[in-house]
Amino acid sequence: MKVSMKWLKQYADIPMTPAEYESRMIMTGTGVEGIEPLGEIENVVVGRVLTCRDHENSDHLHVCTVDVGEAEPLQIVCGAPNVKEGILVPVAKIGARLPGGVVIKKGKLRGVESQGMLCSGPEIGVPVELYPSVGTAGLLIFQEEYPLGADVRPIFGLDDTVIDFEILANRPDCLSVWGVARETAAAMGTELKLPEIKVQEVGGDIHDFARVDVLESELCPRYAAKVVKNVRIGPSPAWLRQYLYAAGMRSINNVVDITNFIMLETGHPMHAFDLSKVRGKHIIVRKAESGEKLTTLDGKEYALNGTELMICDEMGPTGLAGIMGGEESEITESTKEVLFECASFDRASIRITARALGIRTESSGRFERGVSPATVMDALNRACQMVNELDAGDVVSGVIDLYPQPVQPATLTVSCVRMARRAGVDIAPEEMEKILKKLLFQVERSGDQMVITAPAFRQDVDQEADICEEVLRYAGYDRIPITHLRGETPMGGNNDKGTRQQLIRRQLTGMGFYESMTFSFISSKAIAQLGLPKEDERNKPLMVRNPLGEDTACMRTTLLPGLLKTLATNIKNGNENGRIYEMGTIFDAQHRTADGLPTELPGLALGMYGNVDFYAIRGVVEALCQQAGISCTIASCDEPYLHPGRRAALKVNDQVLAVVGEMHPDAAARFDLSGRCYVAQVNLPVFFAASRPMGTVNSIARFPAVNRDLALVMKESQQVGPLMDAIRHGCGALLEDIRMFDVFRGIQIGAGNKSVAFSLTYRAADHTLTEEEINRQTEKALKIAKEQFGAVLRA
Amino acid sequence: MDIRENLAQIGEELKQELAQTDASQALEALRVKVLGKKGSLTALLRGMGQLSPEERPKMGQMINEAREKLTALLDEKQAQLAAREKEMRLAAEAIDITEPRDLPPIGAEHPIQLVLNEVLSCFEGLGFQVAEGPEVELDKFNFELLNLPKNHPARDAQDTFYIDDNIVLRTHTSPVQARTMLTKKPPIRIVCPGRVFRADEVDATHSPVFHQIEGLVIDKDVTMADLKGTLDAFAKRLYGSDIDVRFRPSFFPFTEPSAEVDLTCFNCHGQGCRVCKGTGWIEVLGCGMVNPKVLEMCGIDSSVYSGFAFGIGLERITMLRYGIKDMRLLYEGDLRFLKQFR
Repeated sequence: MKVSMKWLKQYADIPMTPAEYESRMIMTGTGVEGIEPLGEIENVVVGRVLTCRDHENSDHLHVCTVDVGEAEPLQIVCGAPNVKEGILVPVAKIGARLPGGVVIKKGKLRGVESQGMLCSGPEIGVPVELYPSVGTAGLLIFQEEYPLGADVRPIFGLDDTVIDFEILANRPDCLSVWGVARETAAAMGTELKLPEIKVQEVGGDIHDFARVDVLESELCPRYAAKVVKNVRIGPSPAWLRQYLYAAGMRSINNVVDITNFIMLETGHPMHAFDLSKVRGKHIIVRKAESGEKLTTLDGKEYALNGTELMICDEMGPTGLAGIMGGEESEITESTKEVLFECASFDRASIRITARALGIRTESSGRFERGVSPATVMDALNRACQMVNELDAGDVVSGVIDLYPQPVQPATLTVSCVRMARRAGVDIAPEEMEKILKKLLFQVERSGDQMVITAPAFRQDVDQEADICEEVLRYAGYDRIPITHLRGETPMGGNNDKGTRQQLIRRQLTGMGFYESMTFSFISSKAIAQLGLPKEDERNKPLMVRNPLGEDTACMRTTLLPGLLKTLATNIKNGNENGRIYEMGTIFDAQHRTADGLPTELPGLALGMYGNVDFYAIRGVVEALCQQAGISCTIASCDEPYLHPGRRAALKVNDQVLAVVGEMHPDAAARFDLSGRCYVAQVNLPVFFAASRPMGTVNSIARFPAVNRDLALVMKESQQVGPLMDAIRHGCGALLEDIRMFDVFRGIQIGAGNKSVAFSLTYRAADHTLTEEEINRQTEKALKIAKEQFGAVLRA
Repeated sequence: MDIRENLAQIGEELKQELAQTDASQALEALRVKVLGKKGSLTALLRGMGQLSPEERPKMGQMINEAREKLTALLDEKQAQLAAREKEMRLAAEAIDITEPRDLPPIGAEHPIQLVLNEVLSCFEGLGFQVAEGPEVELDKFNFELLNLPKNHPARDAQDTFYIDDNIVLRTHTSPVQARTMLTKKPPIRIVCPGRVFRADEVDATHSPVFHQIEGLVIDKDVTMADLKGTLDAFAKRLYGSDIDVRFRPSFFPFTEPSAEVDLTCFNCHGQGCRVCKGTGWIEVLGCGMVNPKVLEMCGIDSSVYSGFAFGIGLERITMLRYGIKDMRLLYEGDLRFLKQFR
């Protein structure tokens, strides 16, 4: 919220530099985004054009002599069409600064020296609000007399500073000059000088002029109105236009400006109706009827659905309550009677309507955050006082004030000791009392107990903790000491899942993998690119109702699309030999928790490309399994995005622990992957369930092992894994290990065959094996190979 | 020539020949020539048969002594040669120690994870237990139990993604607070790291997905000074012992009093620089004393227990920590970026 420093200083002194003020306000809880001069001009003065002749080398330039109150007049070349002798204009002297960082230098224009510049309104940043006769063509010509050489900034009110306050959500009362003045006075320790409100009325009775009925008192707890007759519409005085300009608002006319001034000054949004356009001179506050329409002040038409709170007359809607008035009853040049509305509306109702219609105004923003009904009359009377001051009309006696259930000021009893303990700061009860009184709370203290009544403008205080904060922010957050937690110390540490995930991260780091993080939402299109069967549950993700776009439309059911996108980015960027993983949550919308939430599962996806193959990615997963003490079997899988001849499922206890494989060229193309990529997805819940906790350690065998190498010739189509499994199971306890170490293909062993070399390790725990025992084992292995797999010893 | 002279001559000849031998093969031949079956010393031994029985032991002893001496000479030479040969072999095996080679592959965790690990380790050391909650959350936990009723304007600060009227993508990690308080009895000391979501378009400082870590302590007589002490310990651990914390008044619906926390700028150590916009402080997190209304809604007696909560944006402290200028780098997964965290 932007506030003119001049305006603020009317109500509270600021006896320090802007930087000190900013710091003090921030440390007492009123944020300051910035303090900037209102006008960005320097060294621009009032000057009179003494002479003006045509430039000898130009058909549009003029050469002028200009008196800026110095001994000698300046010679200035000017191209404005309206330049002539005798006019009083703003003159940017040599060295002047203009908006946009422009600096005026001495120069020559077509051979004639120019010692400055005569300025138009836009050139010195003066809009029509600050100087109505500014015009759009040519120089700004002053209408009044000013001393020659005088700084022009005070003439336009640009000699002001704008403070941009950042008001916290619980302090809507501070969305006003009075509000920040109250905080300023308390923070500065200076006197708060709010105006005395006095209204001069001309008699008559408001009830003869207008009638108000509130049909929705829940949504409109208070509605107050005053009537002004013999309205004299005209421009506002300069100071009012300047205050509004500093706040970023446009000046319209004296009556409308008064309502905006009151909103900015008191925080109470107001509205002014042309009473002659209020049909039946009867205001009715009710909900819209479905199908009703309203054209607002900005000329836009809205169709209403029946939930909106409306200000209506006897014929229909004439304003969106608390948001924007209607065009119909707008104040115009010919307005003679005005009804000023000052009301309090339900926060949620205003918020819902403003959001639904997509309108956000200064007024709706304040009502959404809460406008106290208790202070409505102060604002309304202040508006009437302004009518008196600006002589904008005659205030009719009497008020319409519909306030069936007056809000009682919050009164609470608090303990000073408890508050000091909560804050952890030793603050004496006397100091607490002093602070609260400075903040306009009523305080009755007896010893430790204080009975506190909040001021009417504060709606945010209803418990001791709130009072504690009020005390603490003025006692100073810097006074909070540093102490350490006491009492029973719980056992700190990570949970099981976190610890296991961290272990996997470390292992993958050791295997050369980099961790990536991608968004939790993806597009349905990205899932579709995997080419999964229609009925696959990954095709039925949790949808976001209000996504930012297609890319944030649904919660990921698999980490793969995100990972593939990352791989594609890296390949495109020429990064060689990528090894990337992501560990993150995937969302299963088809299986809900008791609360109706989707099931969230930890997932792990890995990707590799470059100098690697299927066995490399399978090996990474197998290595993770080995570390976790999991022995898994390799089975076929039918994930359609993987190469049909290079894909596998790793299973444990009949559950799929991981799927690994090379990307199918079609799917790879859909994800813009050039070259072969290898991916794996690990089902972490299955992985964790199968993980073996660190158990007992086996002692190291004392008797020697014996190795026998066998080369077995078998059909190319024969998988090696099942054969090794069969030998492992068939040979019994003496076979310690079987390892494959070579595969040979060549004409010696016949086309369509392969020779696979194995190394078998035998060992007994309790004796040295005899030759006979070893041979018996080997015979057993050869028999299994031949009978079950048609594999024979290579000749 | 008597045996004595012979022995002397054999010794003399061996010395001369040894001096000219520079290979172990030649040395072995020499050993055979002297000590072998047909060697000169062996021949002398054989000649002892012609000696008288009185002379034999004497001569035998003399020959044996000579054999020991000669053997020692040969062994010494052999050791010399072996040492020299090893030296030559090692010299021949010398390599260019400056030739580059590929390193064993080593990866890295994500920078956010690296910072999270440090933060967790700090709080685990202070007795905090890590807790978790769902990323897709009920409105009740994300807002209502945190004193943010429906249509409360403070919800505006957190542009929310909705699944339906009752389910949201959590906008902060604070719902884990509510879930924990509803299921655990004090004393509670937890930190909850996790992903959160807000409907912000992606730019250099915004992302619709980001990470927070929430802290919650509930116990008897917990004070705002304890909160400051805890965060002070965290700041010093993460950024160094010269880092101080500053509390500024703020507002969050779920804490009262509330504070924004600034840390001494770790770029300029409080002198004022570009990173801290000249203030010497960097805003890092929000915190406060748990609002008694929240305690009561979560079934904890606020007249007995008090507590504090804080929420740290991990992206922010990660970016500050590593001087990362653009948040998008964190989510693109470009290896040229990720490799810098090895």
